[in-house]
Amino acid sequence: MKPFKFISATNPGEAIDMLSNNAEAAFLGGGTNILDLMKEHVALPNEIIDIGNLKLQEIKATATGFSLGALAKNTETANHSLIRSNLPMLSKAILAGASAQIRNMATNGGNLLQRTRCSYFYDISMPCNKRMPGSGCSALEGFNRMHAIFGWTENCVAVYPSDMAVALSALNATVKVQNNNAERYIPFKDFHLLPGNHPEKDNSLTHSELVTAIEIPKNNFAANSAYVKVRDRSSYAFALVSVAAGLNLKGNVIQFANIAMGGVAHKPWRALKAEQFLKGKPATTANFLKAAEAEMVAAKALSHNKFKIEMGRKTLVNALELALKG
Amino acid sequence: MEDSKKSIGKGIDRIDGILKITGKATYATDYPAKNMAYAVLFKSTIAAGQIKSINSTEAERYPGILKIITHENAPKLNTKGGLRGGALLQGPEITFHGQHIGIVVAETFEQATAAAHLIKIEYNQKEEKIDFEKLAQTPIMPKGKELADLVRGAGKLAMETAEVKVEELYETPIEHHHPMEPHSTMAVWEGDKLILYNGSQIINGAQTAAAATLNMKPEQVRIISPFIGGGFGSKGGQWANLVLTAVAAKMVGRPVKLALTRQQMFNSVGMRQRNMQKLSIGATKEGKLIALAHETISHTAVDDEYIEPCGDCTKIMYEVPNSLISYRVVPMNLILPTYTRGPGKSTGSFALESAMDELAYKLNMDPIELRIKNEPSKDPSNGKPWSSRTTVKCLKEGAKAFGWEKRKSKPGTNKIGDDLVGYGVACGTYPARQRDSSAIIKLSLRNKLVYATVEIAASDLGTGTNTILAQTAADGLGLPIAQINVKLGDSELPPAAGSVGSVGASSFANAVNDACIKITDELLAKSGKQFFVRPTAAQLMVSESITDFQTRSDSKAPAEAEKYSAHSFNANFAEVRINSITGMIKVTRFLAVTGAGKILNPKTARSQIIGGNVWGIGMALTEESIIDPRYGNFATRSFADYHVPTNLDIGRLDAMFINEKDLIPNKMGVKGIGEVGIVGVAAAVANAVFNATGKRVRSLPITPDKLL
Ligand SMILES: Cc1cc2nc3c(=O)[nH]c(=O)nc-3n(C[C@H](O)[C@H](O)[C@H](O)COP(=O)(O)OP(=O)(O)OC[C@H]3O[C@@H](n4cnc5c(N)ncnc54)[C@H](O)[C@@H]3O)c2cc1C
Ligand code: SF4
Repeated sequence: MKPFKFISATNPGEAIDMLSNNAEAAFLGGGTNILDLMKEHVALPNEIIDIGNLKLQEIKATATGFSLGALAKNTETANHSLIRSNLPMLSKAILAGASAQIRNMATNGGNLLQRTRCSYFYDISMPCNKRMPGSGCSALEGFNRMHAIFGWTENCVAVYPSDMAVALSALNATVKVQNNNAERYIPFKDFHLLPGNHPEKDNSLTHSELVTAIEIPKNNFAANSAYVKVRDRSSYAFALVSVAAGLNLKGNVIQFANIAMGGVAHKPWRALKAEQFLKGKPATTANFLKAAEAEMVAAKALSHNKFKIEMGRKTLVNALELALKG
Repeated sequence: MEDSKKSIGKGIDRIDGILKITGKATYATDYPAKNMAYAVLFKSTIAAGQIKSINSTEAERYPGILKIITHENAPKLNTKGGLRGGALLQGPEITFHGQHIGIVVAETFEQATAAAHLIKIEYNQKEEKIDFEKLAQTPIMPKGKELADLVRGAGKLAMETAEVKVEELYETPIEHHHPMEPHSTMAVWEGDKLILYNGSQIINGAQTAAAATLNMKPEQVRIISPFIGGGFGSKGGQWANLVLTAVAAKMVGRPVKLALTRQQMFNSVGMRQRNMQKLSIGATKEGKLIALAHETISHTAVDDEYIEPCGDCTKIMYEVPNSLISYRVVPMNLILPTYTRGPGKSTGSFALESAMDELAYKLNMDPIELRIKNEPSKDPSNGKPWSSRTTVKCLKEGAKAFGWEKRKSKPGTNKIGDDLVGYGVACGTYPARQRDSSAIIKLSLRNKLVYATVEIAASDLGTGTNTILAQTAADGLGLPIAQINVKLGDSELPPAAGSVGSVGASSFANAVNDACIKITDELLAKSGKQFFVRPTAAQLMVSESITDFQTRSDSKAPAEAEKYSAHSFNANFAEVRINSITGMIKVTRFLAVTGAGKILNPKTARSQIIGGNVWGIGMALTEESIIDPRYGNFATRSFADYHVPTNLDIGRLDAMFINEKDLIPNKMGVKGIGEVGIVGVAAAVANAVFNATGKRVRSLPITPDKLL
């Protein structure tokens, strides 16, 4: 670990000032990701700004939906009665992530901003474009079982690891961000980025911005939603593939479906082709299968992750079935 | 003594349990020392070649840095002193990725770590040998004599005459030990004497290896290791970090602590090697085995050989007139593999017991029946009689307790909702041996109470050695356990075997028991009296008003033991539940039935067995260390990537012991349970997966993608 200075902010304005004053500073949420990265010499901030004292913990209903404070813990969010009864898919997705101990520390903001778990990214003796732009991507021809099947480029084939974000993507969330006195709202689909030519950039935040809340519009998915995660062990493992699905039904006819996948791309992957296929169709296994197939057409496997295409298809169908069952 | 008063055989809590849960147990780096300095290792980032240059100018200027040690300034060490894995900073040669190439010593751990990143190293790289799959096409004969081809009868040729055959390749990946306590050492020099605080499974082995490597006499080196946070073989033979800590302490003239990071554990202290095992079984239509061949290809370091004996179980498990056990090896640019829980037996039994299951399926026979049908009456490998053999009992009693009759013999037919349920069985074995060990018992009489101190250079890996020795002494001396003080983990104590190869309990407990008998005899003689009922040592101390008395016993295995084949045996039963859509597996129930002679403490014994079962389940389902063949590094280098099973992966674990009295291997009838607990486990799980799904996975671990 590189030595760093530790400072605490008392309010959002101060936190943002502190960050904008130092290009090498970083916020500390729960610390479950940034500290690991510092210990591995991957993140090298010279100043850590503790934002734990900011009053951004509230989880509440708003006129248009729900608001999750950026500093509310993952555990509190998942177990909050508002979330459990109105957004069960989100609750399940959070609880499918990490371990109880990590979720107790992890904040909603930090969760969104956690970095990839690509093992070459973590190993500083290996080339990695995300860690060191221009050095090459070790995973492209290396061990890439955990890596992407959608939207990757030769510059980076990593996947984004958050489970919570997969549900947020399906729920059309918005990320509320504050910078020097201005506020902006970033739609979820624009928040995380595909690697393109700049895998070093995970998302569209700029350095001096603070995530203050995550807003979720009202929806009718509570009765018909699911989060299915396939992983190498039952807890404390990142998704091989995961699917968040919500169905808006009228009788047996799907008015619209919102579907997002995890473990398959550099960002939560909205299954737009599947959604499009299902719109206005009866909710049947046959249609679920066709929707899944439509989605997986664009998948492109790497040397070790061909299984993700079949697993993605099956998991998509399974999530839709479970959503239908309610 | 009446049985009800006996301590042995009771499930007594660990006597050091409170110390451990309150943090008072002192592990290697928990000892205080004045003026401590901290060492951090830095490692090569190539797998083969030479160091061309090391530039540490910037690092040397870093605050708090005391010394940077590389091959350029390290003292000359004896590389044949008995440490494993090389990496002693004796030259510029690099033979594996992650080889230690230097040490930074600083006032704080943080300073040493930060400065290590400032060191610039240039290499002359050579082409490395790491691609196992490619190299395994052209393996060579191993050097070890015990690994020469072992042919019985017509060997593999007899396969041709078999009516029913199984010939398959089984693969097991590299695994790592990862004890909870990473390898850590504190070195303190007192003049020309050296104290090394270091988790060591073999106290005297660590002492002699450290002394020889440092060109010192064994009596100049003291190993202190009363508590160990697990080892599983990785703290049996010692590695470079032990002696490099001493080198650093000498060079800075201060006590030094060196603890490996979890990431460094992947390439510093050995591993279980990857094995390709070809298993061939030929049988009659009735299920009598005719031929059995077990051919293993594995890898070793380029400059040293360790091969786990995968064919060991196969040698003795079944009655078969024709057999072949063979080993081939490929030297690779990787750290030397080493003993890993149930070495050879855990991996070998995966191949053998999977193949037996495949044969049973082909024969349309119950796999338990097939095994019983081929039960050998004596050790097929050497013709010696068994001291005792409990395989059949383990199978029968286990089947009853587990509800084996509920198993559906047709795979894929037991469905609950989306889940498939399957049952599997597999057997295992491990040798029972007693090794030379000495113990001193010191008795004292204070305020009418007798106290005993037991001294032995044994080690307690966290398994409960302390406790079983206190129990043994309590019964042997006629004292309550609270009046016994056990001192172990110190090379100044009487020499003992190691906590390795399941010899610990039998060797240590027999040494202590012998010392108890001897001290009682000596006290009797001293009293000059005759007794109708033999009094205990404690009674004699009181009746004769002796305030202090001690004796030492040097124990060996009984001479008779050699004439027999003595082993622990087990049968493992697994129930798995598999989501038929996602392929995710849960081991809902696991039962291990073990015949291991006298069980000294059923509570610590159960912990040992279920601990072995959990690792075996990890071996079956989750654990795998993956090498990137382009670089020779491990691509899985943290617990986020190297998956050990979690609570959610495992349901109910049960351990049953067969009540057996076998005094042939040693006087106390203790056979050992540490290793056997993992043997046969992976096969039981894999066989259950087959029974559930109809898919035979022959390459571990069985991850969800393999069941799609
Ligand atoms: C072994 C392991 C397994 C895991 N498994 C899973 C899993 O299966 N699924 C899953 O989803 N997650 C998993 N996690 C990841 C875990 O969810 C994240 O580490 C956690 O959510 C991060 O939250 P944090 O508050 O601790 O973030 P921090 O580590 O504090 O911060 C992460 C990043 O966000 C920045 N940051 C934090 N808050 C803000 C803010 N308000 N505004 C702007 N920037 C901010 C920090 O500067 C930092 O760069 C796992 C982690 C580990 C270690
Ligand atoms: S996949 Fe991305 S993160 Fe991984 S090595 Fe390639 S560039 Fe780095």
